[in-house]
Amino acid sequence: MTSSTRNEVHTHLAMMGQVQPALHNETHAPSPDMIDHTLWRAYTRSCHDVGGEYDIPIRYEEKEEEIWELNTFATCECLAWRGVWTAEERRRRQNVDVGQTAYLGLPYYGRWLLSAALILVDKQFVTNIELSDKIAEVKKRYE
Amino acid sequence: MSKPNYDRTHHAKMATGIGDPQCFAGKAGEPKFKVGDRVRVKDLPDLFYTRTMVYTRGAEATVVRLVYESPPAENEAWDNTDDVEWFYSIVFKQSDLWPEYNNTYEADTLETEVSERWLEKA
Amino acid sequence: MSDKDHGHSHKAAPMVEEVSDFEILEIAVRELAIEKGLFSAEDHRSWTEYIHTLGPLPAARLVAKAWLDEDYKKLCIEDGVEASKAVGVDWIEGMPTKFGTPSDYCNLRVLADTPKLKHVVVCTLCSCYPRPILGQSPEWYRTPNYRRRLVRWPRSVLSEFGLQLDDDVEVRVADSNQKTRYIVMPTRPEGTEGWTEDQLAEIVTRDCLIGVAVPKPGVTSNATRPVRKALKPVPHDH
Repeated sequence: MTSSTRNEVHTHLAMMGQVQPALHNETHAPSPDMIDHTLWRAYTRSCHDVGGEYDIPIRYEEKEEEIWELNTFATCECLAWRGVWTAEERRRRQNVDVGQTAYLGLPYYGRWLLSAALILVDKQFVTNIELSDKIAEVKKRYE
Repeated sequence: MSKPNYDRTHHAKMATGIGDPQCFAGKAGEPKFKVGDRVRVKDLPDLFYTRTMVYTRGAEATVVRLVYESPPAENEAWDNTDDVEWFYSIVFKQSDLWPEYNNTYEADTLETEVSERWLEKA
Repeated sequence: MSDKDHGHSHKAAPMVEEVSDFEILEIAVRELAIEKGLFSAEDHRSWTEYIHTLGPLPAARLVAKAWLDEDYKKLCIEDGVEASKAVGVDWIEGMPTKFGTPSDYCNLRVLADTPKLKHVVVCTLCSCYPRPILGQSPEWYRTPNYRRRLVRWPRSVLSEFGLQLDDDVEVRVADSNQKTRYIVMPTRPEGTEGWTEDQLAEIVTRDCLIGVAVPKPGVTSNATRPVRKALKPVPHDH
């Protein structure tokens, strides 16, 4: 087999892992009687607590670090160094408050970054609109 | 609404030159458990945050070390450092944690840290 | 149309730099924090410089020293923070804060393997890692996948790393879920008799210090794995 065939084989196998049957519950804002204790626990658990959940063997990778990722890490540590938050507050916000969907859907450092942005607003060092204005201003520099 | 006033020097004042968790040493009082004690992890309500993994709840373990005193993470995550507890390193048999763990590997264990509020005598 | 026909040269249109939402937000957050006096540009620079000094060599030397000195090995097991000083790592004052790094705290524990006890480390809740003595964590260590599986199926995960332990060996997973940070001190392999500290340190790789590999004479780097490229990578490895 040619290597492009092998590539297609592995792309196909990986895709089939994402093709799943789905049973849709009408779960948008259910009535309380539809949430038993098991579901309550599932929805209210700390979503960083993944130890022991089922998962499959995958190819473990190393990764080159983005400049923005290194900068984000330094920003988060400087915010703690200078008393804006403690590391534990950061973890609570970054690894649990973000919620289940963002937890699994966003990149690791994406959550660090969003949490750093939000702490500035939550503790009123910056208004939400100041943050939005700054984002717009930075965006403009690259247009 | 008024702006809250944060003392951003609080942690630095407490821990500079001393370290964290060292800065909390002596604040937890007498430890309830000692090395060798058999303990069970309580399944306490853990709304909004916990660092005591659900996979440990209700399982029994042996205390192997009193590691340090610190505010429990459940409070420290809101920068509340008023109450300080002893933290214990405890060891579980893997076969006590996972029903399918093969008894071929009967010796396998897992070690993790838990603060005192989560533990009861087994 | 050639440049010769004009009194001036045509410059190419400036390249529009592709910038991600992450990069934009990162700049916005850092600039705002500095503008509001939360930390200084110098703080940020000094932290970045500090991170660039970090890597696995001090931890490797700690293990090598312990292999050569039974008393030092006892100190490593009893008081990892004190033992770290001998390899130039001060968990409290060795970084700009002078109170430890905010995320890594000051409670290193060295987990000593024996022929019948093999340690391996994970942080199921996030990716806590002993940065001051070991550097930044590898990507795979941070994945929900590793964090889900290592605590429950350690021998399966280790065999994927190429490591299999005898049935009567106690495989102990250390879940670093609070303020302690761990490094593994593997057992000294055969074929290293008479080696110097430098020679021994060379075979104690980062993967050995996490516990997913064991040191072997002649093996001085982590196993080869795919490396996911960054769009704009940090200029050098750290």
